[in-house]
Amino acid sequence: MASMEKRLQKELQAMTKDPPPGVQVDQESCSRVMNEWIVDLEGATGTLYEAEKFQLQFKFGSKYPFDSPQVTFLGPNIPIHPHVYSNGHICLSILTEDWSPALSVQSVCLSIVSMLSSCTEKKRPPDNAIYVKTCSKNPKKTRWWYHDDTV
Amino acid sequence: MAEGDISFDPNRNYDDETLSLQREIEKEIAENQELIGPMQPIEELIEHYAKEDQIYRHKLMDLRKRHSHIRKVRGDGNCFFRGFGFAYLESLLTDEAEFARFKDIAVKSKDNLVALGYSQFTIEDFHDTFMDVVGQVEKKVSVDELQNVFNDQGISDYFVVYLRLIVSGHLQKESDFYSSFIEGGRTAKEFCSQEVEPMGKESDHIHIIALATALGTCVLVEYMDRSGEICNQLVFPEEGARPAVHLLYRPGHYDIVYSLTSD
Repeated sequence: MASMEKRLQKELQAMTKDPPPGVQVDQESCSRVMNEWIVDLEGATGTLYEAEKFQLQFKFGSKYPFDSPQVTFLGPNIPIHPHVYSNGHICLSILTEDWSPALSVQSVCLSIVSMLSSCTEKKRPPDNAIYVKTCSKNPKKTRWWYHDDTV
Repeated sequence: MAEGDISFDPNRNYDDETLSLQREIEKEIAENQELIGPMQPIEELIEHYAKEDQIYRHKLMDLRKRHSHIRKVRGDGNCFFRGFGFAYLESLLTDEAEFARFKDIAVKSKDNLVALGYSQFTIEDFHDTFMDVVGQVEKKVSVDELQNVFNDQGISDYFVVYLRLIVSGHLQKESDFYSSFIEGGRTAKEFCSQEVEPMGKESDHIHIIALATALGTCVLVEYMDRSGEICNQLVFPEEGARPAVHLLYRPGHYDIVYSLTSD
Protein backbone atom coordinates (compact mmCIF):
# COMPACT_ATOMS: atom_id res chain seq x y z
CA MET A 1 0.00 0.00 0.00
CA ALA A 2 1.32 3.40 -0.98
CA SER A 3 -0.21 4.97 2.11
CA MET A 4 2.83 3.85 4.08
CA GLU A 5 5.25 5.82 1.92
CA LYS A 6 3.02 8.87 1.85
CA ARG A 7 2.78 8.75 5.61
CA LEU A 8 6.54 8.36 6.07
CA GLN A 9 7.17 11.36 3.82
CA LYS A 10 4.92 13.46 6.03
CA GLU A 11 6.59 12.13 9.16
CA LEU A 12 10.02 12.98 7.84
CA GLN A 13 8.93 16.51 7.04
CA ALA A 14 7.48 16.95 10.52
CA MET A 15 10.60 15.53 12.19
CA THR A 16 12.87 17.79 10.15
CA LYS A 17 10.81 20.91 10.63
CA ASP A 18 9.74 20.44 14.22
CA PRO A 19 11.89 17.83 16.01
CA PRO A 20 11.34 17.11 19.71
CA PRO A 21 14.15 18.57 21.88
CA GLY A 22 17.32 16.51 21.75
CA VAL A 23 16.09 14.45 18.78
CA GLN A 24 17.40 14.53 15.23
CA VAL A 25 16.74 12.31 12.22
CA ASP A 26 19.78 11.16 10.32
CA GLN A 27 18.67 12.42 6.91
CA GLU A 28 21.22 10.33 5.11
CA SER A 29 19.81 7.11 6.56
CA CYS A 30 16.30 7.87 5.27
CA SER A 31 17.50 8.78 1.83
CA ARG A 32 19.08 5.33 1.49
CA VAL A 33 15.95 3.34 2.31
CA MET A 34 12.72 5.05 3.18
CA ASN A 35 11.60 2.34 5.62
CA GLU A 36 14.69 2.35 7.85
CA TRP A 37 15.62 5.44 9.80
CA ILE A 38 18.35 6.28 12.25
CA VAL A 39 17.44 8.87 14.87
CA ASP A 40 20.03 10.58 17.07
CA LEU A 41 19.01 11.20 20.64
CA GLU A 42 20.62 13.19 23.41
CA GLY A 43 19.89 12.68 27.12
CA ALA A 44 17.98 15.66 28.54
CA THR A 45 19.68 18.16 30.85
CA GLY A 46 19.18 17.54 34.54
CA THR A 47 18.65 13.77 34.07
CA LEU A 48 20.90 10.75 34.62
CA TYR A 49 21.61 10.65 30.89
CA GLU A 50 22.54 14.33 30.47
CA ALA A 51 24.70 14.93 27.38
CA GLU A 52 24.88 11.19 26.58
CA LYS A 53 24.36 10.42 22.91
CA PHE A 54 22.26 7.50 21.70
CA GLN A 55 21.02 6.17 18.41
CA LEU A 56 17.62 4.66 17.69
CA GLN A 57 16.79 2.53 14.71
CA PHE A 58 13.26 2.63 13.29
CA LYS A 59 12.10 -0.04 10.87
CA PHE A 60 8.72 0.38 9.21
CA GLY A 61 6.80 -2.57 7.78
CA SER A 62 4.42 -2.36 4.82
CA LYS A 63 1.45 -2.14 7.19
CA TYR A 64 2.74 0.97 8.94
CA PRO A 65 1.02 2.97 10.50
CA PHE A 66 -1.37 0.12 11.34
CA ASP A 67 1.53 -1.95 12.60
CA SER A 68 3.92 -0.31 15.02
CA PRO A 69 7.47 0.45 13.89
CA GLN A 70 10.25 -1.78 15.15
CA VAL A 71 12.34 0.47 17.39
CA THR A 72 15.67 -0.46 19.01
CA PHE A 73 18.71 1.31 20.42
CA LEU A 74 21.73 0.90 18.19
CA GLY A 75 25.45 1.41 18.24
CA PRO A 76 28.08 1.60 20.93
CA ASN A 77 26.05 3.39 23.59
CA ILE A 78 22.92 1.52 24.73
CA PRO A 79 21.40 3.39 27.68
CA ILE A 80 21.58 1.54 30.98
CA HIS A 81 17.95 1.64 31.98
CA PRO A 82 15.52 -0.81 33.67
CA HIS A 83 13.47 -1.04 30.44
CA VAL A 84 16.31 -1.23 27.95
CA TYR A 85 18.06 -4.55 27.29
CA SER A 86 21.74 -4.63 26.48
CA ASN A 87 20.94 -5.71 22.90
CA GLY A 88 19.01 -2.47 22.39
CA HIS A 89 15.49 -3.86 22.77
CA ILE A 90 13.08 -1.54 24.59
CA CYS A 91 10.18 -2.61 26.77
CA LEU A 92 7.63 0.13 26.04
CA SER A 93 3.93 -0.61 25.64
CA ILE A 94 3.27 1.85 22.80
CA LEU A 95 5.73 -0.13 20.65
CA THR A 96 3.49 -3.19 20.69
CA GLU A 97 0.16 -3.55 22.49
CA ASP A 98 -0.72 0.09 22.96
CA TRP A 99 0.44 1.23 19.52
CA SER A 100 -2.10 3.34 17.68
CA PRO A 101 -1.91 4.54 14.07
CA ALA A 102 -2.34 8.07 15.40
CA LEU A 103 1.06 7.85 17.07
CA SER A 104 4.16 8.78 15.09
CA VAL A 105 7.95 8.73 15.07
CA GLN A 106 7.74 11.99 16.96
CA SER A 107 5.54 10.61 19.71
CA VAL A 108 7.67 7.47 20.02
CA CYS A 109 10.81 9.60 20.40
CA LEU A 110 9.08 11.76 23.01
CA SER A 111 8.04 8.67 24.98
CA ILE A 112 11.57 7.27 24.90
CA VAL A 113 13.10 10.58 25.99
CA SER A 114 10.60 10.82 28.83
CA MET A 115 11.25 7.18 29.81
CA LEU A 116 14.96 7.99 30.10
CA SER A 117 14.37 11.29 31.86
CA SER A 118 12.22 9.81 34.62
CA CYS A 119 14.79 7.13 35.49
CA THR A 120 16.19 7.32 39.02
CA GLU A 121 18.76 4.52 38.92
CA LYS A 122 20.86 3.32 36.01
CA LYS A 123 20.51 -0.44 35.82
CA ARG A 124 19.62 -3.18 33.34
CA PRO A 125 16.32 -5.07 33.50
CA PRO A 126 16.54 -7.95 36.02
CA ASP A 127 16.07 -10.59 33.26
CA ASN A 128 18.59 -9.03 30.90
CA ALA A 129 20.98 -12.00 30.65
CA ILE A 130 18.37 -14.63 29.81
CA TYR A 131 16.36 -12.32 27.55
CA VAL A 132 19.31 -11.28 25.40
CA LYS A 133 20.27 -14.93 24.98
CA THR A 134 16.85 -16.24 24.00
CA CYS A 135 14.95 -13.40 22.33
CA SER A 136 14.05 -13.03 18.69
CA LYS A 137 15.97 -10.43 16.69
CA ASN A 138 12.78 -8.49 16.31
CA PRO A 139 11.59 -7.03 19.64
CA LYS A 140 8.03 -6.95 18.28
CA LYS A 141 8.08 -10.74 18.43
CA THR A 142 8.50 -10.61 22.18
CA ARG A 143 5.34 -10.76 24.23
CA TRP A 144 6.21 -8.16 26.79
CA TRP A 145 4.93 -7.87 30.30
CA TYR A 146 4.57 -4.23 31.12
CA HIS A 147 5.05 -4.43 34.83
CA ASP A 148 5.94 -0.98 35.94
CA ASP A 149 4.90 2.24 34.26
CA THR A 150 6.42 4.47 36.87
CA VAL A 151 10.08 3.84 36.01
CA MET B 1 0.77 -37.89 29.74
CA ALA B 2 -0.26 -36.56 33.09
CA GLU B 3 -2.12 -33.32 33.20
CA GLY B 4 0.07 -30.46 34.23
CA ASP B 5 3.18 -32.13 32.84
CA ILE B 6 4.71 -29.00 31.41
CA SER B 7 8.17 -28.99 29.93
CA PHE B 8 10.18 -25.98 28.86
CA ASP B 9 12.54 -26.27 25.92
CA PRO B 10 14.98 -23.36 26.06
CA ASN B 11 15.76 -23.76 22.35
CA ARG B 12 12.21 -23.13 21.27
CA ASN B 13 10.97 -19.62 20.74
CA TYR B 14 7.54 -19.76 22.38
CA ASP B 15 6.71 -16.11 21.69
CA ASP B 16 7.28 -16.68 17.98
CA GLU B 17 5.01 -19.72 18.03
CA THR B 18 2.25 -17.92 19.90
CA LEU B 19 2.38 -14.97 17.54
CA SER B 20 2.37 -17.08 14.38
CA LEU B 21 -0.60 -19.04 15.71
CA GLN B 22 -2.35 -15.74 16.36
CA ARG B 23 -1.65 -14.64 12.76
CA GLU B 24 -3.09 -17.92 11.46
CA ILE B 25 -6.29 -17.44 13.42
CA GLU B 26 -6.60 -13.85 12.15
CA LYS B 27 -6.05 -15.06 8.58
CA GLU B 28 -8.69 -17.73 8.92
CA ILE B 29 -11.23 -15.21 10.22
CA ALA B 30 -10.35 -12.82 7.37
CA GLU B 31 -10.87 -15.56 4.77
CA ASN B 32 -14.26 -16.53 6.15
CA GLN B 33 -15.83 -13.18 6.91
CA GLU B 34 -15.78 -9.95 4.91
CA LEU B 35 -15.19 -6.75 6.86
CA ILE B 36 -18.83 -5.91 6.17
CA GLY B 37 -20.93 -8.83 4.97
CA PRO B 38 -24.11 -8.91 2.87
CA MET B 39 -27.58 -8.42 4.27
CA GLN B 40 -29.14 -11.74 5.26
CA PRO B 41 -32.53 -12.65 6.74
CA ILE B 42 -32.32 -13.27 10.50
CA GLU B 43 -33.71 -16.78 9.83
CA GLU B 44 -30.39 -17.78 8.29
CA LEU B 45 -28.74 -17.08 11.61
CA ILE B 46 -31.09 -19.47 13.37
CA GLU B 47 -29.68 -22.35 11.31
CA HIS B 48 -26.26 -21.72 12.84
CA TYR B 49 -27.45 -22.75 16.25
CA ALA B 50 -28.05 -26.39 17.07
CA LYS B 51 -31.60 -27.58 17.66
CA GLU B 52 -30.60 -28.29 21.24
CA ASP B 53 -29.51 -24.72 21.79
CA GLN B 54 -32.92 -23.62 23.01
CA ILE B 55 -31.77 -20.43 24.72
CA TYR B 56 -30.27 -18.87 21.58
CA ARG B 57 -32.99 -20.17 19.28
CA HIS B 58 -35.60 -18.71 21.59
CA LYS B 59 -33.80 -15.38 21.73
CA LEU B 60 -33.44 -15.27 17.97
CA MET B 61 -37.18 -15.76 17.60
CA ASP B 62 -37.58 -12.86 19.99
CA LEU B 63 -35.14 -10.75 17.97
CA ARG B 64 -37.06 -11.68 14.82
CA LYS B 65 -40.10 -9.83 16.19
CA ARG B 66 -38.24 -6.54 15.91
CA HIS B 67 -35.54 -7.08 13.29
CA SER B 68 -35.74 -8.66 9.85
CA HIS B 69 -32.13 -8.75 8.64
CA ILE B 70 -28.57 -9.03 9.83
CA ARG B 71 -25.30 -7.89 8.27
CA LYS B 72 -22.28 -9.63 9.71
CA VAL B 73 -19.12 -7.73 10.57
CA ARG B 74 -15.65 -9.27 10.76
CA GLY B 75 -14.60 -10.15 14.30
CA ASP B 76 -11.27 -8.37 14.49
CA GLY B 77 -11.78 -6.26 17.60
CA ASN B 78 -12.99 -3.34 15.48
CA CYS B 79 -16.47 -4.70 14.83
CA PHE B 80 -18.30 -2.08 16.87
CA PHE B 81 -16.57 0.83 15.13
CA ARG B 82 -16.79 -0.68 11.65
CA GLY B 83 -20.35 -1.89 12.11
CA PHE B 84 -21.47 1.43 13.52
CA GLY B 85 -19.66 3.35 10.76
CA PHE B 86 -21.25 1.40 7.96
CA ALA B 87 -24.75 1.30 9.44
CA TYR B 88 -24.72 5.00 10.29
CA LEU B 89 -23.53 6.10 6.85
CA GLU B 90 -26.03 3.73 5.26
CA SER B 91 -28.81 5.44 7.20
CA LEU B 92 -27.49 8.85 6.10
CA LEU B 93 -27.83 7.87 2.43
CA THR B 94 -31.58 8.42 2.83
CA ASP B 95 -31.63 11.22 5.40
CA GLU B 96 -30.35 14.50 4.03
CA ALA B 97 -31.07 16.64 7.08
CA GLU B 98 -29.22 14.26 9.38
CA PHE B 99 -26.38 14.02 6.87
CA ALA B 100 -25.92 17.79 6.85
CA ARG B 101 -25.82 17.85 10.66
CA PHE B 102 -23.32 14.99 10.77
CA LYS B 103 -21.08 16.46 8.07
CA ASP B 104 -20.76 19.67 10.02
CA ILE B 105 -19.61 17.74 13.12
CA ALA B 106 -17.27 15.60 11.03
CA VAL B 107 -15.58 18.62 9.45
CA LYS B 108 -15.09 20.38 12.79
CA SER B 109 -13.91 17.26 14.62
CA LYS B 110 -10.38 17.62 13.28
CA ASP B 111 -9.75 20.95 14.97
CA ASN B 112 -11.03 19.55 18.27
CA LEU B 113 -8.48 16.77 18.09
CA VAL B 114 -5.61 19.04 17.13
CA ALA B 115 -6.59 21.30 20.04
CA LEU B 116 -6.26 18.30 22.35
CA GLY B 117 -2.63 17.96 21.34
CA TYR B 118 -2.70 15.32 18.61
CA SER B 119 -0.14 15.97 15.94
CA GLN B 120 -1.69 17.75 13.00
CA PHE B 121 -0.32 15.59 10.21
CA THR B 122 -1.41 12.23 11.64
CA ILE B 123 -4.90 13.58 12.35
CA GLU B 124 -5.11 15.16 8.91
CA ASP B 125 -4.18 11.92 7.25
CA PHE B 126 -7.05 10.05 8.88
CA HIS B 127 -9.47 12.93 8.65
CA ASP B 128 -8.90 13.27 4.88
CA THR B 129 -9.78 9.62 4.26
CA PHE B 130 -12.69 9.86 6.67
CA MET B 131 -14.09 12.85 4.77
CA ASP B 132 -13.56 11.03 1.45
CA VAL B 133 -15.85 8.27 2.69
CA VAL B 134 -18.35 10.84 3.98
CA GLY B 135 -18.17 12.40 0.51
CA GLN B 136 -19.29 9.10 -0.99
CA VAL B 137 -22.48 9.37 1.05
CA GLU B 138 -22.99 12.93 -0.16
CA LYS B 139 -22.71 11.66 -3.74
CA LYS B 140 -25.44 9.19 -2.82
CA VAL B 141 -23.63 6.03 -3.85
CA SER B 142 -25.60 2.81 -3.68
CA VAL B 143 -25.56 0.64 -0.56
CA ASP B 144 -23.49 -1.93 -2.48
CA GLU B 145 -20.91 0.69 -3.37
CA LEU B 146 -20.74 1.81 0.25
CA GLN B 147 -20.23 -1.81 1.23
CA ASN B 148 -17.33 -2.03 -1.25
CA VAL B 149 -15.76 1.05 0.29
CA PHE B 150 -15.97 -0.55 3.74
CA ASN B 151 -14.52 -3.80 2.42
CA ASP B 152 -11.44 -2.00 1.11
CA GLN B 153 -9.23 -2.66 4.10
CA GLY B 154 -7.02 0.40 3.58
CA ILE B 155 -9.92 2.85 3.53
CA SER B 156 -12.00 0.94 6.05
CA ASP B 157 -9.23 0.83 8.66
CA TYR B 158 -8.52 4.55 8.21
CA PHE B 159 -12.20 5.17 8.85
CA VAL B 160 -12.12 3.01 11.99
CA VAL B 161 -9.02 4.80 13.28
CA TYR B 162 -10.74 8.14 12.92
CA LEU B 163 -13.86 6.97 14.76
CA ARG B 164 -11.57 5.72 17.54
CA LEU B 165 -9.94 9.16 17.65
CA ILE B 166 -13.34 10.86 17.89
CA VAL B 167 -14.15 8.67 20.91
CA SER B 168 -10.76 9.34 22.46
CA GLY B 169 -11.10 13.08 21.94
CA HIS B 170 -14.59 13.10 23.42
CA LEU B 171 -13.60 11.05 26.48
CA GLN B 172 -10.66 13.32 27.19
CA LYS B 173 -12.64 16.49 26.67
CA GLU B 174 -15.43 15.28 28.95
CA SER B 175 -13.12 13.45 31.34
CA ASP B 176 -14.87 14.86 34.43
CA PHE B 177 -18.04 13.08 33.42
CA TYR B 178 -16.48 9.83 32.21
CA SER B 179 -13.76 9.32 34.82
CA SER B 180 -16.10 7.46 37.17
CA PHE B 181 -16.82 4.87 34.43
CA ILE B 182 -13.17 4.13 33.77
CA GLU B 183 -11.90 0.97 35.42
CA GLY B 184 -8.57 0.39 37.08
CA GLY B 185 -7.93 3.87 38.43
CA ARG B 186 -6.69 5.08 35.06
CA THR B 187 -6.98 8.64 33.80
CA ALA B 188 -9.10 9.28 30.72
CA LYS B 189 -5.93 9.79 28.73
CA GLU B 190 -4.44 6.48 29.87
CA PHE B 191 -7.69 4.68 29.17
CA CYS B 192 -7.82 6.15 25.67
CA SER B 193 -4.27 5.23 24.79
CA GLN B 194 -4.76 1.67 26.07
CA GLU B 195 -8.38 0.82 25.22
CA VAL B 196 -9.63 3.23 22.58
CA GLU B 197 -6.93 4.32 20.15
CA PRO B 198 -5.13 1.03 19.42
CA MET B 199 -6.73 -0.93 16.58
CA GLY B 200 -8.36 -4.20 17.56
CA LYS B 201 -9.20 -3.19 21.13
CA GLU B 202 -12.77 -4.25 21.82
CA SER B 203 -15.52 -1.81 22.68
CA ASP B 204 -17.58 -1.52 25.80
CA HIS B 205 -20.57 0.64 26.82
CA ILE B 206 -18.30 3.61 27.40
CA HIS B 207 -17.04 3.53 23.80
CA ILE B 208 -20.60 3.33 22.47
CA ILE B 209 -21.91 6.16 24.65
CA ALA B 210 -18.95 8.36 23.78
CA LEU B 211 -19.23 7.83 20.02
CA ALA B 212 -23.02 8.29 19.94
CA THR B 213 -22.78 11.42 22.08
CA ALA B 214 -19.85 12.91 20.17
CA LEU B 215 -21.74 12.53 16.88
CA GLY B 216 -25.07 13.51 18.41
CA THR B 217 -26.75 10.30 17.33
CA CYS B 218 -28.24 7.28 19.05
CA VAL B 219 -27.45 3.54 18.99
CA LEU B 220 -29.66 0.62 19.95
CA VAL B 221 -27.96 -2.61 20.99
CA GLU B 222 -29.77 -5.94 21.30
CA TYR B 223 -27.85 -8.03 23.84
CA MET B 224 -28.01 -11.74 23.24
CA ASP B 225 -26.23 -13.89 25.80
CA ARG B 226 -27.04 -17.03 27.78
CA SER B 227 -28.86 -15.33 30.62
CA GLY B 228 -32.60 -14.57 30.68
CA GLU B 229 -35.33 -15.41 28.17
CA ILE B 230 -35.27 -12.56 25.70
CA CYS B 231 -32.72 -10.11 24.27
CA ASN B 232 -32.08 -7.05 26.40
CA GLN B 233 -32.24 -3.81 24.47
CA LEU B 234 -30.14 -0.87 25.50
CA VAL B 235 -30.17 2.54 23.90
CA PHE B 236 -27.08 4.77 24.01
CA PRO B 237 -27.27 7.49 25.17
CA GLU B 238 -30.31 6.65 27.27
CA GLU B 239 -32.24 9.83 26.60
CA GLY B 240 -31.40 9.67 22.89
CA ALA B 241 -33.79 10.15 20.00
CA ARG B 242 -34.76 7.45 17.49
CA PRO B 243 -31.71 5.17 17.14
CA ALA B 244 -30.00 5.57 13.76
CA VAL B 245 -27.99 2.37 14.19
CA HIS B 246 -29.14 -1.03 15.45
CA LEU B 247 -26.55 -3.58 16.51
CA LEU B 248 -26.76 -7.13 17.76
CA TYR B 249 -24.30 -8.03 20.51
CA ARG B 250 -23.28 -11.59 21.16
CA PRO B 251 -20.50 -12.06 23.72
CA GLY B 252 -17.41 -10.38 22.31
CA HIS B 253 -18.95 -9.34 19.01
CA TYR B 254 -21.22 -6.82 17.27
CA ASP B 255 -23.16 -7.27 14.02
CA ILE B 256 -25.55 -4.89 12.29
CA VAL B 257 -29.30 -5.61 12.40
CA TYR B 258 -32.16 -3.97 10.52
CA SER B 259 -35.42 -3.22 12.23
CA LEU B 260 -38.76 -4.32 10.75
CA THR B 261 -40.24 -0.85 10.77
CA SER B 262 -37.51 1.54 9.72
CA ASP B 263 -36.75 0.22 6.24
